[in-house]
Amino acid sequence: MKLSPVSQGVYKIQNGTSALVTYNSVKGKNVYGEKLIEFHGDEYREWNPKRSKVAAMLMKKFKIPLVKSSKVLYLGASTGTTVSHISDIVTEGIVYSVEFSPRPMRELIKLCEMRSNIIPLLADASNPSSYSAIVENVDIIIQDIAQPNQAEIALLNSDKYLKPGGYLVLSIKARSIDTVENPKKIYKSEMNKLLNSSSCCFELVKKSELAPYHKDHLAIVAKAES
Amino acid sequence: MKETSKYPSWFGSLRLDENNELEDTVLHIKDIQFLAETLKDYIFTKPKMNFTGRNLSEEAIKCGFVNSKEEYYSLLHQVSVKTVKLQLAEMEQSDLKIIQAINALDDIDKSANELSERLAEWYGIHFPEIELFGDELAYFISKHGVRKNIGANDNYFNLAESSMGISFNDEDEDIITEYSSNILSLYATRRKIELYIHEQMDIVAPNLSNIAGYLLGARMISIAGSLEKLAKMPSSTIQVIGANKALFKHLRSKATSPKHGIIFNHPTIKGSSWRHRGKISRSLASTVSIAARVDFYSSETVLNDDLAQQLEAKIKSIKKL
Repeated sequence: MKLSPVSQGVYKIQNGTSALVTYNSVKGKNVYGEKLIEFHGDEYREWNPKRSKVAAMLMKKFKIPLVKSSKVLYLGASTGTTVSHISDIVTEGIVYSVEFSPRPMRELIKLCEMRSNIIPLLADASNPSSYSAIVENVDIIIQDIAQPNQAEIALLNSDKYLKPGGYLVLSIKARSIDTVENPKKIYKSEMNKLLNSSSCCFELVKKSELAPYHKDHLAIVAKAES
Repeated sequence: MKETSKYPSWFGSLRLDENNELEDTVLHIKDIQFLAETLKDYIFTKPKMNFTGRNLSEEAIKCGFVNSKEEYYSLLHQVSVKTVKLQLAEMEQSDLKIIQAINALDDIDKSANELSERLAEWYGIHFPEIELFGDELAYFISKHGVRKNIGANDNYFNLAESSMGISFNDEDEDIITEYSSNILSLYATRRKIELYIHEQMDIVAPNLSNIAGYLLGARMISIAGSLEKLAKMPSSTIQVIGANKALFKHLRSKATSPKHGIIFNHPTIKGSSWRHRGKISRSLASTVSIAARVDFYSSETVLNDDLAQQLEAKIKSIKKL
C-alpha cells in the first residue's frame, strides 16, 4: 500500500486500485457507509468522487485551497457526505453548513454532534442575512445547490461572507437550470453571471466538466479580488 | 450626533459606529438553551437590514464573552446544534404525515399483492379448484385451514370433496394459516391507513379532497412534496405531475405533450371518452390548483362547495362538444 498526498489533508491510497481518502478525525466511525482504510496505524475514509462533487474536482486535478485552519461556508450541505470530508481536512478550522431541507438536516445534525468543527444552519441560502448572527467572514465558499438561481445565491453569499482573496468553489448542474437546453449554453450564461457581476469581482482559476463522475456538471473555482 | 447601528450576533447585540467598528456590546446570558432560543427566532425572521459578515470570534473575545477561540467555537457548536434541533421540532407539517401514510399505503399494496400471489400458489397445491384471490383467499384459509375442515353446508364443500390437490398435514396447515393471517392483518392495516388518510385530508386539505378525492389528493401532495408546494404549482404542472417521462420526451424531442399525469385516476377523466380527456383534465387541474390554494392560504380551512359545482358545470359543457 502506498499513500501519497493530493492536497492538504487529502491523500491517494494505492493498493491495486487507487482511492481518494481523508484522515478520519473520528476514529472507527464512518458516515455514509464509506470504506475505512488502515495505514500505518492511522485511519482514513474513502472519498468517492461519484458521490461528492468536491472529490470529483480533486480527481479532475483541481487545486482546492483548503488548509487546516480554513473557515468554510458550505451551502447545500445535505446529509453531510462531502461536509464530513471537509471537516476531516480543516481540523483547526470551521465549516458552516447551510441546509434548508429538514429531512437531510436530521442526518446532518447527527454528524455535527460527532464533529465539533461543523456548525449546522437550518436556513435558506438565498437569504444570507438570516445567518449573519453566526457566520463569520470565510476563506472559502463551497456551493452544492442544484437550483435554477444557484449563481445568484453564490454571489449573494460571496458578497457578504467571502474574505478578499477568498475562493468560491461551485459546480453548476445544467439539468437543474434547464432540462432541455444544451449544457454548453447554460454553462456559458451561468459563467457570465458569476464573473461579470456588479457586486463581486471574481477571477476564474479553473473550470472543467465533472464527467465521468457527474453528468452535465461544470465545476468552477474562482478567486475573489483582494 | 454619532450614527450607530446594531448588529445582532448569536452572543449579543453589537453596536457599531459609522465606520462599522465595534463600539459597544449588549451581551446575552451565557446559557446554551437561552442562546439557542434567541437564535432560533432570529433565523426565521428576515432581517430588514443588510449585514455583511464580521469577525465574530474576535469580537466575542474583545468584548469578554469568551476567553479564547476554542471556547468560542465549542460554545457556538453547542448552541447551533441546539438551535437546529429546536427549529426541527417546531416545524409543523401535518402534510408530512399524510405523505408518509399514502406512501405506506402504496408499499402495502405492493407487498400484499406479492404475498397473496405466493399464498395462491401455495394453497393451490392443496386446493387448486378454489377461485379466490387476495384478501378473500387469505380470509378463507384463516377460517377453514385445510380442505377437510370445510363444512357440508359451505359453498366449497363439493369442490373440496372432489379436489385433485395433494393433502396437507397438520404442520403444513399450521404454517399456511399463520402466513395467511399475516396477510389478512396487512389488509386490515391498509384499510385503517386509508381511513386515517381520509380523516387527515379532511382536516388539512378539505377542498382538495372534495375535488380530487382524498387518495388522489394525498398522492398529489406526496409528489409535489408538500401542500405548500402543490399550492404554488401552476395548474399546467398539476395537470401533468406523474407523467414525467412523457413530459420530458415532449420537451426534448417532438413527441406530443401528455394530457394527464396522475390526475388521470380521477373518475371523471377515466370514465370519459378520450376526445374529452384533455379538456377535462385541464379544467380539473385548474380547479385542483385553486382548491389547494384555498386549503393552504385561507386562514380557516372550510369546505367550499362552489368549486365542485363550477367544475361539474364545466365538465358538462365539455362533454356536449
